[in-house]
Amino acid sequence: MASKDKTTDKDPNKGYVAIFGWSLNAIDAIDRFDRRYIIVAPSWAKEYADQNDIPFMSWDFERLNERSFELGEKLQEMGVDVAIPLFEETVEWAGAVNAVLLKNPRLMNQAMLFRNKAMMKRRAQLGGIRVGIFEEAQNKTDVVNFLRRVNEALLKLDGDPNDPIHVKAFDKAGCLGHRVVRTAEDVDNIPDEEFPSLMESHLDGWEFAVEAFIKDRKIQFLNISEYVHLGYSVFVPATPELEKWRDRVTEEIEKLIEAFNIDFGFIHPEYFVTSDGKMYFGEVAYRPPGFNAFELIERAYGFNCYQGMVLMFDPHTTQKEIDDFFPEEVTGATGHAGCFGVYPRRRVVSELNIPEETENDPFFEFHELMAPMQNKVTKRTAFGTHWGLVYFFGDDPYRMRELLLAQEDLDFYV
Amino acid sequence: MTDTAPAGFGSAPASSQTDLLRKMDDAQARMAEARPFARMRHRAAVLDMARRCMLSDGGVEVIYARIEQLELSGVFEGTDWADPDTLQAAMAGRTLKLSDTATAMLEALNHLRMLAVAKRDYFHPRIASEQAHNFLSQVVGLNLDLVFASADEASRTRAGNMDTVCRRLYAHIVRNIGHDSILDTLIAEIWRLLAQRPIVVDDIKAMIAQISVWLVDGNVGRGTDGVAATGSGGWGADRLVSAVFGPTLGCREDPGFDVYSARIAAMDTAGLAKEATAFARAMHDTGLVSAYHALFLQHILVHAPALIPDALGLSSTGVDALKCYGDLTYALIDHAVHPETPQAVYGLALTLERGVLFMPPVAPALWRQIGMTLCADAEAAITTAFGSAHPANVFLSAGVLSVLGQTFGVGQGNNPTCQAARALSMWSFTDPDYLLQIVTWAARDDEVVITFEGTPVSSAAPNAGVQHGRPWDVDAVSTIVVPHLDRIYAQMATLCIGREGDMHQWVNRELHGWWVGRGCDIAVDVATGKLSDFDGFVRRFYAAYHPDYNGHQPVIHPQPAGLAMTDSAARYVGWHAISICRVALDSESVMRVYFFNPNNDSGQDWGNDVVVATEGYGERFGESSLPIAAFVSRLYLFHFDPLEQGRPDALPADEVALVTEMARGSWAIDR
Repeated sequence: MASKDKTTDKDPNKGYVAIFGWSLNAIDAIDRFDRRYIIVAPSWAKEYADQNDIPFMSWDFERLNERSFELGEKLQEMGVDVAIPLFEETVEWAGAVNAVLLKNPRLMNQAMLFRNKAMMKRRAQLGGIRVGIFEEAQNKTDVVNFLRRVNEALLKLDGDPNDPIHVKAFDKAGCLGHRVVRTAEDVDNIPDEEFPSLMESHLDGWEFAVEAFIKDRKIQFLNISEYVHLGYSVFVPATPELEKWRDRVTEEIEKLIEAFNIDFGFIHPEYFVTSDGKMYFGEVAYRPPGFNAFELIERAYGFNCYQGMVLMFDPHTTQKEIDDFFPEEVTGATGHAGCFGVYPRRRVVSELNIPEETENDPFFEFHELMAPMQNKVTKRTAFGTHWGLVYFFGDDPYRMRELLLAQEDLDFYV
Repeated sequence: MTDTAPAGFGSAPASSQTDLLRKMDDAQARMAEARPFARMRHRAAVLDMARRCMLSDGGVEVIYARIEQLELSGVFEGTDWADPDTLQAAMAGRTLKLSDTATAMLEALNHLRMLAVAKRDYFHPRIASEQAHNFLSQVVGLNLDLVFASADEASRTRAGNMDTVCRRLYAHIVRNIGHDSILDTLIAEIWRLLAQRPIVVDDIKAMIAQISVWLVDGNVGRGTDGVAATGSGGWGADRLVSAVFGPTLGCREDPGFDVYSARIAAMDTAGLAKEATAFARAMHDTGLVSAYHALFLQHILVHAPALIPDALGLSSTGVDALKCYGDLTYALIDHAVHPETPQAVYGLALTLERGVLFMPPVAPALWRQIGMTLCADAEAAITTAFGSAHPANVFLSAGVLSVLGQTFGVGQGNNPTCQAARALSMWSFTDPDYLLQIVTWAARDDEVVITFEGTPVSSAAPNAGVQHGRPWDVDAVSTIVVPHLDRIYAQMATLCIGREGDMHQWVNRELHGWWVGRGCDIAVDVATGKLSDFDGFVRRFYAAYHPDYNGHQPVIHPQPAGLAMTDSAARYVGWHAISICRVALDSESVMRVYFFNPNNDSGQDWGNDVVVATEGYGERFGESSLPIAAFVSRLYLFHFDPLEQGRPDALPADEVALVTEMARGSWAIDR
């Protein structure tokens, strides 16, 4: 009786987009948008797509290979205008395919930049963007040496606790494979398959992320996501305290657009502000961010970010359409939306138990935590393996920040 | 980042319902907007917010008002609840009580949808108002515990406060569909339970109190003359309510203790005699005792002791016992019968009727009970469970009278301690003196010792451990004794480790008493769990118990036996301890096994037409019965005396085949 048969009329004068990757939230949003689309994803999703009338093409994205040209031609024959990547693994595929569809070979190289964290950093540095000390590591010895050199430079004596360094697998998304390394033991714990990787000095400062929607080399909408604690919690829009950096942030994004030659699309860079007021570039991704940031933005601003992405990629989009689509930055938000990633705090857990403080908080919305499947909690090695997200929404960003921080002291699994 | 936040985390106002509702409406809008394939996660959010909302005051009403909108937004779409006309009331209660929070919430919303349709607040294309109404009366009738009973441990610990949600939901439904439609179901249910004469009747009395409120408020179930109708509308309601709140002329309108005390103080002997018989009639009709009855007994104990036999409703046997043991009986009334312990009156009456006082050790043992000093642990437990209106031993003695009188009224409550409850019942029946001794050891000494093949096993042994904790929803004797028995049972089981075969063949005899048959027959091979020589098992049972095959020997002592419990779909649920009391022909000449089941409600449907009867087939109070073939089809262990030779071979093969087929069609399906 509800909306099963509801369809959104597709506008034949607008673009036809190919979505690289399988995400129900993305498909839901794009199905409700006026662009024609096709989902390009691994064959395991085909049956589900057919059952639900989702336009679908099977494709194996394992490794970028010479077949990218074939995929590009296939899509071109179907009349597809542009490819949009949803996941880190599909970024280079979208770049390669768009090089064909948009007849612009540069897009392929640009995608490779986004996929290699060391190249990305060097390119940013060349573009006059401030970055921390970084090096590439081929093996554990490189990591040990880098850790020692950084700490020597900081005039640490033998036996002083080391300042940490960050080690990130080259081509993994977000927090996956991101490790904080302080000791030789930490180095030992890095599995060999995470090399080569990028090493960075640790910057003591305020870390945040930016979501920027770009069309015609212009920032159409810019959101600042405030990290309360990296890997744990984030909320949007940021506190006024962080928002006062917006002009500086905008300048930095414009530098990125120049350095990476970004005509259109969506980027998700991370920055540090150190105590002396300098902004450092961390890294940038050319795909939707993790931690369900799209959902938080939608909750706060009311527009759908996947639809926003389609607008940015579609060559037929008009500026008027864009202006009508995005609300005012910051002031256009109805509240602040945040989420907290839950990690079990105990070594042995048997059940999910939402703490009363959380459940009864006026900001609390809902959670996506599952009952534990195993009792033993594996020790955390890297960021990014939370057991589920808890969502909050409220009108006071400072209270939101305190609230998210307070969640870290609660047991969601007992 | 050392700024101070303007509004600290701790200073947050309590979550208001309006806030939550706004959030829920947002979530509902997102759910409505989402395509069916992406709806699941939005639904989860909506369900959780609805749950939290229903936990707040007036929350159920608010969700009720939104139920049509919720359905139109797709909350049921793609789920089992999408087709309301196919939903079954019997399943609904189980889903609500046992499922995970999200599934139970869908069922809760379905209840509200049915209510809206029944009340014609919501016109539904798939289900008629009458259909919805029937669904609700059935579902409420089947889940009366959600309306009346206090929460048990299992429901209290349920995630997400779902128990509270369910209770609020049911209170709302009952307020709205009117009492009429569930009154019949409820009253029939109460009579069915009372037919088993349970010792613990607190829940039943709570239900009756609720009925009396309805009768007064809503004038339901009454004829036009204002007298409770005896037809289908509220059959027997008046008897139930009067038995608890006004069984006699003197207290007909439930005047309160002070008024009633003044009235009986002014009554002449003839008036008191009428009161006495009216009390006795109400008590023996229902098994329920009014608090006025206890007050009355205390009064006549001093002023008209000659009326005590009438007030207890004694037959000549009971009167004889009373005459022989007058001082003891009076002392028991003085000590244990109070408005807070009215059921002790019934226990005392039946104890006298059973004639157990004529067993020489019982009377002195009861004198010991009256004067007993409880150990600190037992005292604390009794006070926690029964309050402190009287010294703890008063409640314990009242419980002792109930257990002695209502042998088969002992129940395990909501605790996995069927062996202990069965043992108490068996001792009360066969060896009341021993029961009183065990109670003394447990209550006074805080230690019970029972030997296992000569080795003393102590409930206070350091390695005894705590098995299931203390039960609280049971009679006073069980509250004190069950933890001890439970620990002894566990130790005996430990002593059997390494032996081949089922441990019950040794433990049953050592735990219960010498009268447990030395032979023990088990239907399954313990190692594999498969049926083993089931034909022989059936034949040996008939030869041991069926009068036609055992030389017409009635069962002498109740014998412990083990059942493979099955649910109404005949699926195996677990092993369960019962005792076999009698095997005899019923009024329709069907050979039945009469047995005691220590669970609290023995009337159960075990599937494939095996429905346990608790009345109507010659059962004594508290007995359950089944035709012998049906009984054996769920039996897996029994004791017998190997020296008594029956005629196993005389049993016709088709009877064996019938039993085997019934067993294989239920619990033994994979064995």
